[in-house]
Amino acid sequence: MKKLVAACAALLVVLPLAGTAAASEAHPTLAELEGEVMCPICHTTLDQSNSAAAGRIKAFIVRRIRAGDTKSEIKRELVDQFGPAILAAPPKHGFDLLAWLLPIVGILGGGLVIGFAAWRWSRRREPEFVLSGGGMAMPRPLDPELERRLDEELRHFED
Amino acid sequence: MPKALKLGAQAVALAGLVGLFALLIWKITHRPRPVKVGAAAPAFDLQRLDGNGRLALASWNGRVRVVNFWATWCGPCKSESPALQRLWEQYRKRGVVFVGVDYNDVASDARRFVRKHGLTYPMVRDRDGSVGNAYDLTGVPETFVVDRRGRLLEHFAGPIDRRDNDRAFRRAVDRALQS
Repeated sequence: MKKLVAACAALLVVLPLAGTAAASEAHPTLAELEGEVMCPICHTTLDQSNSAAAGRIKAFIVRRIRAGDTKSEIKRELVDQFGPAILAAPPKHGFDLLAWLLPIVGILGGGLVIGFAAWRWSRRREPEFVLSGGGMAMPRPLDPELERRLDEELRHFED
Repeated sequence: MPKALKLGAQAVALAGLVGLFALLIWKITHRPRPVKVGAAAPAFDLQRLDGNGRLALASWNGRVRVVNFWATWCGPCKSESPALQRLWEQYRKRGVVFVGVDYNDVASDARRFVRKHGLTYPMVRDRDGSVGNAYDLTGVPETFVVDRRGRLLEHFAGPIDRRDNDRAFRRAVDRALQS
C-alpha cells in the first residue's frame, strides 16, 4: 500500500513536469529560447544582450515560432545558420557529450572517495564498550600493562 | 588505505593535472595570431551566400582581391554598400576581384540585403565567424586588400564610403595592381 502511495505521489510530481516539457517543445516561446541561444558577437545568451546581432537572431526565432516550428527544429535551424556554438548548452553526442558526463563522473567519484574515507575513519575508532557473555555492555578491558601501572599508582596514593 | 589504491588515486590525480596542463598549452599555441599587413592573407573556402557551391580565396590566386566582411545587423555596412558596389564596377575591369563575406548572420536576411542593395560581387557565408576570427576582426565592416601574391596589403576598419577611407582604399588597390 505504501509503495502504491509513493508511486502515485511520484507520478503527481513527474506528470506536470512532463506536460510542461512537451508544451515547451511543441510551442516554444522567445523568452525560453533566449536563455538557450548565444549571441555569437557578444558571447552571452540572447537574454543578456541588446546588440544588433542578437536582435537579428531574436527576430529569426520569432519568425520560426510564428511559422509553427518546434523548439528542436528552431535549434537545428540556428545550428545550420551559425554552427553548434550558437547553443548555450553543448550537444549531447560525440565529443561534446563529455561536457555532460564529466560533472556526473566527478560528483560520483567525489562521493565514492568521501564515502570510502568516512568508512575508513569510522572503522579506525575502537568501541568504548564491549558486550559481555550475558549480552551486557561492559567497559572495554584495559591493556594488562596499563592496568598494572594504574594499580601501582593507586596503591601509591593509598599509602 | 592500501598502498596500491593510494598510488592509483595519486596517478589519476596527476594524469588529470597533466591533461589540464596539456589543454592549456594547446589553447595557447592554437590561438589565432593577429593578422598583419604584409603577411599572408588567411585562406578560406566558404559556402556561397546563394547556396550554389563554395568559393575559395585561392581560386583567384594571381589576382588582386578585396575581402569585405559585413553583416545585416551592422548599420555602417548598409551605408557602405553603394560605395563598394561602385568600386567593384570600376575595378573589375582591371581584374580586381571583390568578395563579400557575410559574417555571423542569418542567410535569408543576408540574401535579402544583397538584393535590396543591388550588390553583384561574389558573396560567401562565414556562418560561425571562424574566418572573421582568422582575420582578427574588431567589428564589421572591415575590408582587406590582398595583392597578387596573396599578401595582405592594406586593412580598413569601418566603412570605406568616407572620403578619407575611399582615397586610401583606391591607393591601396592601385598599389596592389602594380605589385
